Amino acid sequence: MATDRKAEVTWRGDLVSGSGRIDSVGSGAFGGLAVNWRARSEDGASDTSPEELIAAAHAACFSMALSSGLAKAGHAPEELKTSATVTFQPGEGITKIVLDVAGTVPGMDPDEFQKAAETAKENCPVSKALAGVPEISLSARLES
Amino acid sequence: MTWEGNVARGAGAISAATGAFEQLPYSLASRIEKPDGKTSPEELLAAAHAACFAMSLASELSEAGSPPEHLDVGATVTLDQVEDGSHRIVASELLARARVTDIDQATLERLAASASEGCPLTKLIEASARVTVTATLEGDEHGD
Repeated sequence: MATDRKAEVTWRGDLVSGSGRIDSVGSGAFGGLAVNWRARSEDGASDTSPEELIAAAHAACFSMALSSGLAKAGHAPEELKTSATVTFQPGEGITKIVLDVAGTVPGMDPDEFQKAAETAKENCPVSKALAGVPEISLSARLES
Repeated sequence: MTWEGNVARGAGAISAATGAFEQLPYSLASRIEKPDGKTSPEELLAAAHAACFAMSLASELSEAGSPPEHLDVGATVTLDQVEDGSHRIVASELLARARVTDIDQATLERLAASASEGCPLTKLIEASARVTVTATLEGDEHGD
């Protein structure tokens, strides 16, 4: 079954001096988030940006795919801590995504964990949707 | 972000580096069934796409000499199961209502199409899914 996920945004004014707000999402999990060009194009922002939301989407998608792969191999994870860092180059677009995962997975071999992480990176739906990003790298390790 | 347990019964939480959002819950059920107050990778991607498109449209309108007073933008991202049984993002539908002076409907539609193409996320998603854009002038819904 297909599932639809919706988000609503309001924007006022031009790109550089204007400002926006992610008013709501269908689930109600978050809303009222300020977005603006500064948050997107400069470091040290406290507002969110499309690229930060993409990072959250990718980290979440990758974690679910990895937990699924690990569980199918008989090693359901206790915990996966994942970060995704998305690099935006104004005028060029999204140039790079770095995925980093630290897993607590009882009885897991490090090489097998690495392989499972690579598979999750290749196959999660957000990875497929973002396959055109020039560089997507992965670092995976087991917590001892 | 963190994930605990296997994919079907496990649960995760997502936080942003900027601090704009923290500890958003998500799960497999929130992704492929009813969201039940939890977010999902596709909802985060919808928020990213709506914000990206809103900024791009604000920029197009400003360059055309009519910075928008107000843009209402929505994005709906669809996840579906494809032939091999895996899940794929198959569509993102962008909707915009614009309160803007000195722009007619045809020009708005042209600028909205160009704004979508100018948003880096559209280009990425378009490689493997359908992106549609609908734009209307606010106050023009009754055909005047």
